[in-house]
Amino acid sequence: MTGGDLTALLPFLVMGVAVPAVTLAAAFRRPALAASLAALGTVLAFAALWPAAGVVPRQVTPLLMIDGYALYFAGLMLAATLAVLLLSLGYLHRRPEPREAHSLLLLLAAFGAMAVAASDHFASFILGLETLSVALLGLIAYAHGRERPIEAGLKYLILAGFSSAILLFGIALLYLRCGSLSFAGIAFALGRAGSDPAILLAFALVIAGIGFKLSLVPFHMWAPDVYQGASAPVAGFIAVVSKGAVFALLLRLAHDTPLASGPGATVIQAIAVATILAGNLLALLQDNFKRLLAYSSIAHFGYLLLAVLAGGVLGAEAAAYYLAAYAVMTLGAFGVITQLSAGQAGDDIEQLSAYRGLMWRRPWLAAVLVLMLFALAGMPLTMGFFAKLTVLMAGIHGGWWPAVGALVAGSVIGLFYYLRVIALMAAGRPVEAVPEPTRWAGALVLAMLTGVLVWLGMAPAPLMALIRRATLGG
Amino acid sequence: MGVLAALIPVLPLLGFLMLFLAGARLGARGIAVVGVGSVGIAAGMALGLTAWFLASPVPVEVSAWTWMTVDGFAPRIGFRLDALSLIMVLVVTVIGVLIHLYSAEFMAGDEGYARYFASMNLFVAAMLVLVLAADLLLLYLGWEGVGLCSYLLIGFWYRDPANGRAARKAFIVTRIGDTAFAIGLLLLFTHLDTTDIQALMGRAQGQWPAGAPLAVAAAALLLGGAIGKSAQLPLQTWLPDAMAGPTPVSALIHAATMVTAGIYLIARTHALFDLAPAVRDAVGAIGAATLVLAAFSALSQTDLKRILAYSTISQIGYMVLALGVGAWASAIFHLMTHAFFKALLFLAAGVVIQRLHEEHDIFRMGGLRQRLPLVFWAFLIGASSLAALPLVTAGFYSKDLILWRAWSAGPFGRALWAAGILGTFLTGLYIFRAVFVVFLGPVRTPPRGGIGPAVAVPLVVLSVLALIGGFVETPDFFGGVPALTDFLAPVFPGPPPPGDPGGEAAASIFAALVALAGVFAAYVAYCRRPAMVATILRHPAAEAMRRCWAAGWGFDWLYDRLLVRPLVATARAGRADVIDAGFDALAAFCRQSHAMLSRWQTGQVRWYAAWIGAGTILTVAISVLA
Repeated sequence: MTGGDLTALLPFLVMGVAVPAVTLAAAFRRPALAASLAALGTVLAFAALWPAAGVVPRQVTPLLMIDGYALYFAGLMLAATLAVLLLSLGYLHRRPEPREAHSLLLLLAAFGAMAVAASDHFASFILGLETLSVALLGLIAYAHGRERPIEAGLKYLILAGFSSAILLFGIALLYLRCGSLSFAGIAFALGRAGSDPAILLAFALVIAGIGFKLSLVPFHMWAPDVYQGASAPVAGFIAVVSKGAVFALLLRLAHDTPLASGPGATVIQAIAVATILAGNLLALLQDNFKRLLAYSSIAHFGYLLLAVLAGGVLGAEAAAYYLAAYAVMTLGAFGVITQLSAGQAGDDIEQLSAYRGLMWRRPWLAAVLVLMLFALAGMPLTMGFFAKLTVLMAGIHGGWWPAVGALVAGSVIGLFYYLRVIALMAAGRPVEAVPEPTRWAGALVLAMLTGVLVWLGMAPAPLMALIRRATLGG
Repeated sequence: MGVLAALIPVLPLLGFLMLFLAGARLGARGIAVVGVGSVGIAAGMALGLTAWFLASPVPVEVSAWTWMTVDGFAPRIGFRLDALSLIMVLVVTVIGVLIHLYSAEFMAGDEGYARYFASMNLFVAAMLVLVLAADLLLLYLGWEGVGLCSYLLIGFWYRDPANGRAARKAFIVTRIGDTAFAIGLLLLFTHLDTTDIQALMGRAQGQWPAGAPLAVAAAALLLGGAIGKSAQLPLQTWLPDAMAGPTPVSALIHAATMVTAGIYLIARTHALFDLAPAVRDAVGAIGAATLVLAAFSALSQTDLKRILAYSTISQIGYMVLALGVGAWASAIFHLMTHAFFKALLFLAAGVVIQRLHEEHDIFRMGGLRQRLPLVFWAFLIGASSLAALPLVTAGFYSKDLILWRAWSAGPFGRALWAAGILGTFLTGLYIFRAVFVVFLGPVRTPPRGGIGPAVAVPLVVLSVLALIGGFVETPDFFGGVPALTDFLAPVFPGPPPPGDPGGEAAASIFAALVALAGVFAAYVAYCRRPAMVATILRHPAAEAMRRCWAAGWGFDWLYDRLLVRPLVATARAGRADVIDAGFDALAAFCRQSHAMLSRWQTGQVRWYAAWIGAGTILTVAISVLA
C-alpha cells in the first residue's frame, strides 16, 4: 500500500479511529464526550475528503474503489450523519434511555455506508452493508420500554436477514459462473462467456436484495412500520444514509456490470413504475406524518431508478444531484418532527392532526417544513425542482417512457399529499405563538438545510460543477 | 461600478425579508426606517450609478449566475444596465423612495404597518428585477412578482370583501395578459433557442424578414402581456377597481411604475415590433382608442381616485400610441413625466381624502384651497402638467413630442394624432373639473389635521419634478435640447425624425391651444356656470351617455355577460356532467387504490416476508421471460 493509497483512504481511516474512540467514551458512560467525539470524527473525516480528492481515482486493495464518486457520496453521508447527530442531541435530552450508544451506532452506521458507496467488490459490499444494518437495528429499537420501536427493530431484523439471504444467493450464483466477486471481474467473465439463465437469475436476486434496502415495491412494506417505530432522527438517517449508500452501490454496479441492461432493464423499469405509483398512492390519505414521509421516500427512490435506467454520465449526474436534494429535504422534514418532539417522552409528534395550525404556534418550524414539503413536491426555486428535472431529462434521453409517465403521474399525486400537510398547518385561527425552549443544535441544522435548499435551488451550478468533476466516467 | 446594478434590487429585497421576518419586533419607527431606508439607499445607488454611466455611457451586463443548463436552455440571472433600464431604475427608486417616505406618515397607526412596507419593498425589488433583467425569463419573474405585490396591496385592507374582490379582479385580468406573454416567451425560445433579450432581438432580426408570421405572432403575444399589465383596451377594466388599495399604493404601483411595465416591455423588445408592422399599427390603434375612451370615463367619475385611475389609463394610452408610431424614446419620456405628475396627483389626493374622513366624492369636497394650501398647489401643478399646459410643465413637452411624432408618421399617424388632440382637450377638461370642484367653491366637508414633513417633502419634490422634468427634451423652436433622445439613441437606433421646426411649432401651438380650451371649458362649466352641466344632463340621451362613460363604457357589464356569466353557468350546468365524472372517477380510483394498498400494510411480518418472496419470484420471472 503506497502513500497515495493511504491518502485516498484517509476519510475511512479517520472513521476507523473515531469508532473505537467513541466506543471507549461510551464504555465509560460519558454521553457528552461520545457525542463530541462522534461529531469531531465526522468533521475530520469530511475534512479528509480534500486530500483524498487529490489522489483519486485509485483502486485501494481489491475491495475498495476510491474515486470522485465514492468521495462525493462519502461527503454526503458524513454531512447527513453530522446533521442527525446534532438533531439527536436535543431530541434525546430528556429521554430515559442512555445517550452514549446512540452516537456510537450512528457513527458505525455511517462508516458502513461509506464502505458500501466505495465498494466495487461484493465482499466489501456485504461487509459494509452488514455493518450498516446491524448498527441500524440498534438505532431503530433504541427507545426504552416501548413496544413500537422493539417491534420495528424485530421486523427490520427478520426481513433484512431474509433479503440478505436472497442477495447472498444471487452473489453466490454470480461467483459460481464468473469465478470472481469484483465487479470488474464479473463484467470481464460475462463479456467473454455471454449470458445464461443462471446469470439472469443471479442478477434478478441481486436486484431483489437491493430492492429491499431501497424499499422498492414490492419489497417496501417494512419501511412505514420501521420509520414509525424508529425515532424521527433515526428515521431520517435510514431514509438518507442507509438508502443513499445502497443506491450509490446500485448505480456503480449498474455502471460496471450488465445488471441494468437487457432483461435487467425491464425488471428495473417495472419496479420503478410500481414503486412510484404505489408509493405515492399509499401516501395519499395517510394521517401519520412519519409513515407519509416513508411512503414519499419510497416514491422518491422510484424516481431515482430512472437515473439507473438512463445510465451513463447523465444518469450518474442526475442521481448524484437528486440524492443531495433528497438528503436535504428529507432531513429537513424529519428534523422538524425531531424539533417538535424534542424533550418529551413517548411517541413523536407524528399524527397529522397535531400539525393543525402549526404555522401559528411554531411559525419558524412550520416555515421550514413548508419549504421542505415544497421541495419534496418539486417546486421551482428549491433543490427538489432541479433534482426532478435532471432525473426526468435523463429518463427522456434514454426513452424510458413508461417510467417517465409514472414520474409525471406520481408528481401530480405527490402534490396532493404534500400540499395537504401545508394546508393543515395553515388551518385554524391565528393564536399567540407558544414560547418553547429552542434546541439550538437542531435549529442550526434546520437553518443550514433551509439555506442550502434555497441556495442550491436557485443556483444549482456550483453543486453540478462538483458532481461533474466527481461523476463516474461515461 | 456596474456591479452596483445587480445590488440595487437586492436592497429592497433585504428590506422585505427583514420586515417580513421580524416586522412585529421592530416597532413602528424601526419599520419605517427599514422600509424607507432600503429604497432610499437603492435610490442613492441609482443616482451614483447615473453619474458614473453619464461619464461613460456603455451598457453593462452583470451575470450573477446561470440558473440551470439543460440542453441549451441556460437562463441567466443577469442584469443589463443601459440607458433605458437606467431611466426606469431612476423612476422606480426615486419616486419609490418619495412614496415610501410619504407612506411612513400616511399609513402611521395602521395595524398592517409592517405588512404594508414589506409588500412595498418587495414590489420595488420585483420592479427593479423587471427593468434590469437581461434575460426574458428573469424579466418574467419580476413581471409576476409585481403582479403578486399589486394583488397583495390592492387587497391590503382585506377585512372588506370588496377590496379582496378588487384584488382578485386585478390579478385575474392581468393574468390573461401574463399568459399571452408566457406563451410568447416560449414561442421565442423554441424558435430562437435563447431567452437572453439582446440575443433574442439579434436573432429575430437575423432570421425573420419583416412581417414574418412568427414575428407577428410573438409580437402580438408580448403585446397581450403589455396591455394586461398597462391596463389598455380590452384588458383595462381592472385598474379603476384597483383603487381599493391605499392611496400611496395607487401612486407607486398603479400610476408611476407597474402599469408602465407594458410600455417598458414593448420598448425593450422594439426590434421585434419593427418586424411586425401590423402589430405595431395595432399598438397605435389600441393606444388611441384607449386614451379617448378612458378620458371620457374620467370626465364622468365622481370618485377622486377613479378620475385619476381613468386618467392613468388614458395617459398610458398616449405612451402606447407613441410606441405604435415607433417613437420609442418619446414613449419613455412621457412615461417619466407621467410618473412625476401622476404620483404627485395621487399623493395630493390621498391627503385630501384622508383629511376629509375617507371622503372620495369630489362633490362633497370643496373650498380646500385655503384650508390645505400646500396640497392645493401640489395638485394644481400636477393637474397642469397632466393637462399639458404649455411651456412651464413637464407634461407639455412629453405629450407634445408624442403628438408631433404621430403627425409625422403618415396618414395613419394623422388619425392617431387626431385622437391624441381630442384626448388633450378632454384631459384639460376632466382634471380641471376636479381642481375647480375640490379646491374652489364653498367648503362642503371641513378637513381636520395638518400634514407633517414626511408628506410635505414628497409633494414639494414631485411638484418641482412635474414642472421642470420636461426640460431634458425640448422641441426645436424652444431651446432644442434633445438630451433624452440622444441618451436613449444607443437603445433605439434609427434615423432621426425629419426636422421641420416650422411645422412642429405650429403643431405645438395648436395642441397647447386645445389644452387651454379644455381648461377653459372646465372653468366655464364648473366655476362660472355650474348649472350648465345639470342642464345638459337633463336630456335623457346625455344622461345615458354619462352613465355609459361613468361605467367605463360598459366593459365590465359586457365581460360579465359575455365571459363571467356563461362560464359560471357552464360550470354550474357541468357540476354533475360527464367531464366531471371522469375527474371524479380518477380521484375515486386513487382513493380506492390507496385503500387497497393500505389494507396490504397489515403490520404482520409473515405477510411482508411473503411479499418479498413473491416479489423475488416475480423479478426472476420477468428477467427470464423478458
